[in-house]
Amino acid sequence: MAIRPEEITSIIKSKIEHFDTSVDINEIGTVIQVGDGIARVHGLNQVKASELVDFGNGVKGMAMNLEYDNVGCVLMGPDQQVHEGTTVKRTGEVISIPVGPDVIGRVVDPLGKPLDGKGEIKTEKTMPLDIVAPGIIDRQPVKQPLQTGIKAIDSMVPIGKGQRELIIGDRQTGKTAIALDAIINQKNIPAAERCICIYVAVGQKQSTVAQVVKTLTDFGAMDYTVVVSATASDPASLLYIAPYAGCAIGEYFMWQGKDVLIVYDDLSKHAQAYRQMSLLLRRPPGREAYPGDVFYLHSRLLERACKLSNENGGGSLTALPIIETQANDVSAYIPTNVISITDGQIYLESSLFLSGIKPAVNVGLSVSRVGGSAQRKTMRKVAGTLRIDLSQYQELAGFAQFGSELDKESQRQIERGKRMTELLKQNQYSPLKVGEEVLVLYAGTHGYLDTVSVADVLNYEQQLLSYVRSEHAAVLDELNQSQELTEALEGKVKSLLDEFKTVFRAGK
Amino acid sequence: MNSTNRIAAQRYAAAYDALSKTNEEASRRSVLLHEVQMALDSQQEAMNSPRITLQTKKEVVRTALSGSPETANFIELLLEAKRYYLLPEITRRVATLLDDRLGIVRAQVYAAKELTAAQKRHTEQVLAKRYGGEIKADFITDPSLLGGLKIICRGEQIDGSLQRRFAKLEEELTK
Repeated sequence: MAIRPEEITSIIKSKIEHFDTSVDINEIGTVIQVGDGIARVHGLNQVKASELVDFGNGVKGMAMNLEYDNVGCVLMGPDQQVHEGTTVKRTGEVISIPVGPDVIGRVVDPLGKPLDGKGEIKTEKTMPLDIVAPGIIDRQPVKQPLQTGIKAIDSMVPIGKGQRELIIGDRQTGKTAIALDAIINQKNIPAAERCICIYVAVGQKQSTVAQVVKTLTDFGAMDYTVVVSATASDPASLLYIAPYAGCAIGEYFMWQGKDVLIVYDDLSKHAQAYRQMSLLLRRPPGREAYPGDVFYLHSRLLERACKLSNENGGGSLTALPIIETQANDVSAYIPTNVISITDGQIYLESSLFLSGIKPAVNVGLSVSRVGGSAQRKTMRKVAGTLRIDLSQYQELAGFAQFGSELDKESQRQIERGKRMTELLKQNQYSPLKVGEEVLVLYAGTHGYLDTVSVADVLNYEQQLLSYVRSEHAAVLDELNQSQELTEALEGKVKSLLDEFKTVFRAGK
Repeated sequence: MNSTNRIAAQRYAAAYDALSKTNEEASRRSVLLHEVQMALDSQQEAMNSPRITLQTKKEVVRTALSGSPETANFIELLLEAKRYYLLPEITRRVATLLDDRLGIVRAQVYAAKELTAAQKRHTEQVLAKRYGGEIKADFITDPSLLGGLKIICRGEQIDGSLQRRFAKLEEELTK
C-alpha cells in the first residue's frame, strides 16, 4: 500500500495534538422497525422535519414523518446494516450538496459523491437541497432566448432563459434526444451566453446514463455539463432528492449571474419514487395512489427556475422537465400536474415519430407561454406564421384525403405545408446555429422551396447550408449575431437564395 | 410492539396515573401495579387461557386486589378491552409517569470499570445540574469503552469515552 501525502509523521502528529477532545453530546433515538428503505425511530424528540439523521456505518437518513411516538425516516443508503435497536443520532443539519466550479464536467450522485472515477471533488461550499424559490422582487420577466438548435422548437415553441418548458411524450419518442440536443447546442453559442447544463437522471438504467455521458463527452459538451444520477438501482430516497440536488447545483451558478439549463429526466419516475416512499411511510394515498402533496413536490421544484433581476446578477435557471406518458395519455395525474406548473410543453407523438417526422413535435398541442417574448426578432419574422400555416395545412390535408377538388390557394397551402413539415425534420445530435435556422426557415416560408420536390427538401437544406458556410460565411455570421432582420440583411439573404437556385442539384 | 399498541399503552398508563391526587398515592399505586404485574406474570398461562372465562379471571383479580378497588378495576378493564397483553408496557410507562411527577430523571452511566461511590455521587450531581431534578442513575460496566464515561439521559447521549475518541481519531486520520 502506498504512503499518502497526509501520512507524513509531522502531519499525523499535529492531527493528534490538535485532536478535539471534547465530549460528544447527541440527541439519540433507537430504531424500532426497519425495512423497504424506511426506518421507524423511537426517541429523537427534538428532530425537525427533513433533518438529516445518522444511522452509523456511513448510512444517513432523512426524517420525513414526525409522529406521536416515533419518527419515520427514509434511508439514504443500504438498510442491511441498520437493524432493530440501532442508535440513531440527530445531526441538526438539513440535507445539502457540495457545489462549486469543480462540479462541472463531473458525474455525481444526489449527495454530491463522484460516480465517474475521476477522484474527489474539491468544493468549499454546500447548498441545502430544498430552498424556497426566489420571490417576485428577485426576478425579472423572461426575455432572452435559449437556443436549442432544433428548428421546430426554436421557431414554433421558443424557450426563454428562466422558463420551464415541459417535454412530454410516450416512451421512445425522442424526449431525451431533444434535451441532449439543447445541451449539445450550447457548444455553438459564444461562451458569454452559453448555459451551464445540468442533466439529472432519475430512475434510469445505468447503461442509459452511461450512454448519455458518452454522447455528451463525444460532442465536447461535458466541459460545461454536470450529470446528477440516481439510477433505478438506487433507493427511492435518492431518486426523490436527485432533482433538488441538481437544482441546488444550478442555483449556485445562477446566483453568480450565470445562465443554467437543467434537464430533469424524468419527473414521472420521480413521482413514482415519492409515491413509494409515501406509501411505505403510511401516508394516505390519493389519485393513482400518489400522495396528496405530489403537486407540491413538482411545483416547489419547478418554481425554482427563474430569471433573476439585474440587481441579483441577472442569472437564470431554465428547466426542461421530462414526463413520460402511457399510451399518449396527457390527462393522467402527473402529466396534467406538470403541464399546469410549467410555462408550456413540447408534445412528442409516437405516431409522428413512426411516420418519420423527427423530432416528433405535435405542433398543435405544443406551446410556449412565455418564450415568444424572448424569441429573437429575426426568428420571429421568418417563423411568425409557421405554427398557424402548419395547423392549416394539417386541416386541409385531412380534407384533401377525400379526393375533393381543391382551389388553387388551398393546393398551394398544402404544397407549402408538405415542404415545411419536411424542412422541420432534423437529425439527432445535429443542432443548427440560430443564423442557419433563420436562413433555412426563410427559404421555406418565402417560397424558395416551392419549386423543389418534397423528397428533395432536406437535400436542399444540406446543400444550402454547406454552400453558405463556404461561400457566404459573412452573411451567416451576420444572421447569427443580428437581433433584427433589417432590410439590408434581408436583401442579402434573398440574393443569396436566388444565387443558390442555380447551384442546387436535385436528387443528390 | 407496533405504534398502535404503544399509543394505547401510553393512554392507559396516563389514565391510571391520573387517578392519583397526591404523589404518595401515585407512588403507592405504581408499586402495587408493578407487584400485580410480577405476580400475574407467573400466571400467564391461566390469564391467557380461553378455557377460563372472563368472569372467572375478573373474580380472581377482584378477590386478590380487594384492598385496592381502583387497581382491580384497571386490570378488569384491560381484560375486558382485550388489552391485558399490554400490562408490562403499561407498568413501565406508569413508572415513567411517576418519575415525572417526582422530578426523578433516570440515566444510564456506562464506564469501563466500576466507579467508586464518590465518583457515582459526583456524576449524579453533574447530571442534576444539567437536567435538573433528582438523578437516579444505573451504573453499568462496559470494558469496551476503555476509559471515560458514556451517559444516556433524557434521549441524549453524552459520549466522553476513549472508544469514541479513538473512533474519531481513526476517522480523522483516514479522511
